[in-house]
Amino acid sequence: MKKKIGFATAMTLVALALLSTRFYMVDLSVWHFLGGGEGPDPATLHLRGEFVESNLGLAEDPAGSVTVRMIAQQFVFVPQCIAVPAGVPVKFRITSADAVHMLSFLGTNYGLKAVPGEVTEATFTFPRSGKFEIPCHEFCGAGHYAMRGHLEVVPRDQFASLLPGERRNCEPR
Amino acid sequence: MSRASQAARLRIGPRWFSILVLPLAITLLLPGKDFSESKNPEPPIRIPSNVAWTKETLTIISAGDAFRGLLLARRCNHCHGEEGFSSVPAFPNLAGEDRLSFWKQMQDFRSGKRISSVMQGIAEGFSAHDAADLAAYYAMLPTASDPQDQRAFPQAMPDPSRASMAIRLIVFGDGQRGIPPCQSCHGPVSYVKGAPPLDTQNGIYLEEQLEHFSNGNRANDINVRMRSIAKQLTAEEKTALSEYYGAGHGPGVNSR
Repeated sequence: MKKKIGFATAMTLVALALLSTRFYMVDLSVWHFLGGGEGPDPATLHLRGEFVESNLGLAEDPAGSVTVRMIAQQFVFVPQCIAVPAGVPVKFRITSADAVHMLSFLGTNYGLKAVPGEVTEATFTFPRSGKFEIPCHEFCGAGHYAMRGHLEVVPRDQFASLLPGERRNCEPR
Repeated sequence: MSRASQAARLRIGPRWFSILVLPLAITLLLPGKDFSESKNPEPPIRIPSNVAWTKETLTIISAGDAFRGLLLARRCNHCHGEEGFSSVPAFPNLAGEDRLSFWKQMQDFRSGKRISSVMQGIAEGFSAHDAADLAAYYAMLPTASDPQDQRAFPQAMPDPSRASMAIRLIVFGDGQRGIPPCQSCHGPVSYVKGAPPLDTQNGIYLEEQLEHFSNGNRANDINVRMRSIAKQLTAEEKTALSEYYGAGHGPGVNSR
């Protein structure tokens, strides 16, 4: 009997681990599929919610934590270029306006899937500064191969902190 | 108490219950992921266009009546041409215009999201259903070349070096700079809702619009799509693209 209880506990723990951890690359929330998620409507992203165009880009809250909001769409990322401080955990919140897209941060081990109707959230830390490319890593249509974003990791001391309502992104060229 | 009865007392259900259902039930009871928006104070909200491609919008547009559109189009003929080809190259050709795109621009002119002193007054005279009728009519007009019509193009034969630049952008885009190929949204390879066909458009009008997109004078594109692409184009590329499309060389000419 003890064995059985142990087995059930182990299974529970495995299920918990599967549901609560961030998977290696794909940060899908299981809650969405179980009906728990309240994702934004991909058709009305520009009208309401946190993905209106004036709220996209990097934001900093008074406590100092950094959030990047992005939209992936056929066939551009918005904003196309994001600047983040090095060595600081950066929270990404992304969604898609049409098909499934994926951000693959070249030079790192990070990736994020953008799913229509769902907010994907993950926190990444970029240790070294530099310029990285973020190609779309999920076939999303005819222009998929030219869909590319840019990431600029700026040393912490050179990164001016943001005002509460300010959003920052960079010029990609 | 015997060992067996102790086991019977501890067991809640059959074996599969403890293995499959129990973990699932426990995880369902756990608090869900927090989907509420975070606490960053939001900047003043900017809405590019009141149009969204919802089911209701698409229903209104697809209910357009082309014959009624034909009658309404008398108000447009003077500038946009009897056959939908403008006599003035600064005005867009409307023949073969995409229905969704046409309707969206009319709504944006009405609401002032796309700024035009001329078109705002005219668009105010059309209801959403009138605009759908007009869209149906103009989408129906042929784009095939006819020596009799008064179309304003070809305005100029594109310079050969610029033409190759335009073809490269139209077919391949420029991934390094994040410029997707034009034909992947504007056709004929694939279409995106709200993207108009460009292959029979006036070059001068196209160049003007690219310029307006890149400097933000025109900002009614949903989710900053065209603005971020046009910003990446150099002045020469804008000229090359508009020359090429304006000369009627677009890849989709006469294919619709």
